[in-house]
Amino acid sequence: MATRDSLPGPDPSVRDRLRFARQSVGELIPTPGEGIVGYVFLLPAFVLFGTFLAFPIVYTFYLSFFRFNGVGNETLLWIDTGFFSYKLTSIADLEFVGLANYAAMFSDSLFHQALFNTTFILVVQVPLMVALALLFAVALDASFVRLRGLFRTVLALPVSANLVAYSTVFLLMMQDAGLVNYLLTSVGLPAIPWLTSSFWSRMTIVGAVTWRWTGYNMIILLAGLQNIPQQLYEAAEIDGATRIQKFRYVTVPQLRPVLLFVFVTSTIGTFKLFSEPVIINGGGAPLDSTITIVQYIYQAAFIDFRLGYASALTYVLIAIVSVLSAIQLNVGGESDA
Amino acid sequence: MSRITLDTVRKEFGSGGDKILAVEDVDLEIRDGEFLVLVGPSGCGKTTTLRCIAGLEDVTSGRISFGDRNVTSLRARERDVAMVFQNYALYPHMDVRRNLGFGLKLSTKLPATEINQQVEDVAEMLGIEELLGQKPKELSGGQQQRVALGRAIIRDPEAFLMDEPLSNLDAKLRSQMRTELQTLQHELDVTTVYVTHDQTEAMAMGDRIAVMNGGTLQQVGTAEEVYRDPVNEFVADFIGSPSINVFDATVDGTRLDGPGDFSYHLSETDPVEGLRTARVGIRPEDIQLVDDGIGLGVNVLEPMGNENFLYATLGEQEVTARIDPTNRPQPGESVSFAFDEAALYLFDPETGASLKTKRDGVVPATPDSIPNREGAQSTTGRGPDAGPDDDQIEGTIE
Amino acid sequence: MREETRREAVWQFLTYGFILLGAVTTLVPLYWIFVASTLEESEFLSSTDPRLIPGDSFFGNFGALRARENVQFVGHVGEMTQYIDLGPVYFAYDFWNLWNMGAIESSIFVAGVYTILSLLLCSMAGFAFAKYEFRFKQPIFYAILATLILPIQLLVIPLFLLMSQIGLTNNYWAIILPWLANPLGIFLMRQNMRSIPDALLESARMDGATEFQLYYKIALPTMKSSLAALSIILFLFQWNLFLFPLVILDQGKYTIPVAINQLVGAQRVYYDQIMVAATLSIIPIFILFLFLQKQFVSGILAGSVKE
Repeated sequence: MATRDSLPGPDPSVRDRLRFARQSVGELIPTPGEGIVGYVFLLPAFVLFGTFLAFPIVYTFYLSFFRFNGVGNETLLWIDTGFFSYKLTSIADLEFVGLANYAAMFSDSLFHQALFNTTFILVVQVPLMVALALLFAVALDASFVRLRGLFRTVLALPVSANLVAYSTVFLLMMQDAGLVNYLLTSVGLPAIPWLTSSFWSRMTIVGAVTWRWTGYNMIILLAGLQNIPQQLYEAAEIDGATRIQKFRYVTVPQLRPVLLFVFVTSTIGTFKLFSEPVIINGGGAPLDSTITIVQYIYQAAFIDFRLGYASALTYVLIAIVSVLSAIQLNVGGESDA
Repeated sequence: MSRITLDTVRKEFGSGGDKILAVEDVDLEIRDGEFLVLVGPSGCGKTTTLRCIAGLEDVTSGRISFGDRNVTSLRARERDVAMVFQNYALYPHMDVRRNLGFGLKLSTKLPATEINQQVEDVAEMLGIEELLGQKPKELSGGQQQRVALGRAIIRDPEAFLMDEPLSNLDAKLRSQMRTELQTLQHELDVTTVYVTHDQTEAMAMGDRIAVMNGGTLQQVGTAEEVYRDPVNEFVADFIGSPSINVFDATVDGTRLDGPGDFSYHLSETDPVEGLRTARVGIRPEDIQLVDDGIGLGVNVLEPMGNENFLYATLGEQEVTARIDPTNRPQPGESVSFAFDEAALYLFDPETGASLKTKRDGVVPATPDSIPNREGAQSTTGRGPDAGPDDDQIEGTIE
Repeated sequence: MREETRREAVWQFLTYGFILLGAVTTLVPLYWIFVASTLEESEFLSSTDPRLIPGDSFFGNFGALRARENVQFVGHVGEMTQYIDLGPVYFAYDFWNLWNMGAIESSIFVAGVYTILSLLLCSMAGFAFAKYEFRFKQPIFYAILATLILPIQLLVIPLFLLMSQIGLTNNYWAIILPWLANPLGIFLMRQNMRSIPDALLESARMDGATEFQLYYKIALPTMKSSLAALSIILFLFQWNLFLFPLVILDQGKYTIPVAINQLVGAQRVYYDQIMVAATLSIIPIFILFLFLQKQFVSGILAGSVKE
């Protein structure tokens, strides 16, 4: 290795050691560089996230072990510098009850009813909607369809409808004297008590939600369909596949991740149902048959002011949704990397 | 397996003002058990023709028959063909075993055990038995290719159709697969139509080659026929590597005057009778460097090991020559060349049709002279652009 | 074969029929909202003979809707309380008071402000995650991702308490602030910004650009289509918010969903007025949809991440 022993000047080993020392010190000092800038960009979002999203998540959990006795008054922190004072009060007046809230759920029949309703809607609506969305997507994807853009637009229109607003029109249409019954009777079918019967009022919600979200999911599935390479279909054709066989052996397997996504998001969406049942209820449908979990949580929290109990309910809901999603991901995702 | 006949097959895409004529009036007869290569530049219609044979495209007019069976209106799945795609088109969510067995499962009523047995047999034939449990994405390009091949073989179809199957492989693998494919095809004796844009591949593999350009069939023949006796300038240029040198020359009696010092006396004027100019063609391998021939200015010399490629200029015209490896003219030097009249090509300046082709006494192999071909007739299957019959010319060998 | 083409024709017929049926089913409710808003209640609420074509009572119903005291759906001119012109700020304050905002204006205002601010925030955060390195980057990102699966609305209880303490009840900011740092938005922005070539940023740095200029002059313009898609997602999200506004907003500051809810739950339900409200809420977004279809669709697809 070449050395600089022969060069004039201070002893090279000293020079090197100096340089080395200089560099090590330099490394210790944090320079304003990329590290900080990243934080700066992130800061506003992070602060807001922490305050309004992260904190509530944790606090809800915390709250579920307490009983709510009113808005807080206790002063937690008080700064007074003469011309500037700041008082931080606790936000709630709480009484520790341990697992009482969770225990109370077992005997809460209205909660069970809400669970049942939500599950009923889930079981009926989600498969129905995904199947419809898939069929529409496949239909639109077929090569012989003209005006595909037009149909796609029409079927996707409901996406832009306000959740509450559109619920009102379903409320209206499903009245005993409403449009739907008129159409039914004019072709000889009996009028259906859409909003009064417990079974049919749930079906009203199923119908409304399906109407609202099928187009949305269809768009997602359509995109997935169009990503399937044409050559796979050709290879299947050459191998002797009929239309239905192609669907079964090429389309569905290729579509699997997208289908799974649609299933999972629709399931989560069902558990969030709030606008539709509230409006339909408000219009006179029996509360018992249509109340959903979120609706019940709302009632517990802001009408009965049982915030602790409502928090516990919230967490149970989160748990249910997470478990369901995990199951679906597991079942749907296997046998395919 | 059977012979395939294309009768005035025509394929148009689009409608109204945007019509594209992809395949124009192709007449082609592929013999039973033959390995026919469809070759031509991009966009010449070879893939479209293949897809028409497969049934993946409907013909606009014309007829396609397998043997005596008119299959023109049949869908692909009813035609009993197998296809190997350029990017293999293996079913990604099925393992190799199921990929192979899929066709059998769909189009036959064989029990699973029987299918499995055949899968194993084919896998063994192709050397992929160990891959049976894997998914396509776990395989290399070459392995995927074999699976695609296996998928076709296992169906025992009337014909194999291959769409540039080797294009996605690296050079070494490609030449290896080339020989394997040929061996396989001979063993299985299945009628095969093979599309490629690589003329070297075409020459190496095909029993016969069908050259296409711009949607029309230019010429069908054995490799040698197409090489020695091209029907027009396009075929002459397309076949042979490096490409044939072609330039314009004025005709004056029996004398041809070309670029640079090129001046040549033909022994017969029949080919150029009545023409004022002609296109002259000389293949690089027929150029011999001599001491006192036609002058060339050397541009580049590419040593290839077993031979040298010489890039030179003849006046304004660029000329390529294949010469002896011991000959190493340097850039800037002048050399001179000569050639045998028998090796000279002449083309019509307007139609491109060949007026004279290589006649140096070598009789091109015809399908007859290739063993294992049953009842074949010897034709050189010229396409519609064929020039006048010219097999009367005897080149004088100098 | 004849058989083959006949089967083919049957498939085509079925397919078209299916699509057509879907289209009709989709359009009927929309048509009905519009028609019902132009008729009087008795005209469309009849099991034997409802009118199916639009009538002329729209403005009558609209007027009735507007006149309702406890639910202001559409705003109207208020009293000009003070007219002192001490410069732009004061004048703007007065202008604010000039128009008593109804539900429609409130919704538009809230959704608009939310979209713009959230776009800013999410794009900055996404930029940070995509192009910068800092400690805790991964954990923070995963934390944000984790909230994606949680239904945001459910954290309403502590939010309510928080807002009460801060004194933001019945204030628009109460429904804007909590979701400004939208996890989906941050995630999308990060994904999309990763495709900005690092070399571009490096060369800009060498040319002397500040980091903020990198964000403002390079990242944002490149991301135009993603920003458009995201803004649709954000706008629709805020537009449809119901649960929390219901909790926190009071008379005078209702947004559309809350206002409609009041109409539906009132003592006497006037369906014709409700339909007017629904029409006014839905039609503008439709028109937006028709013109911005591409953005809507890419917004929908952007949300469908393949895990």
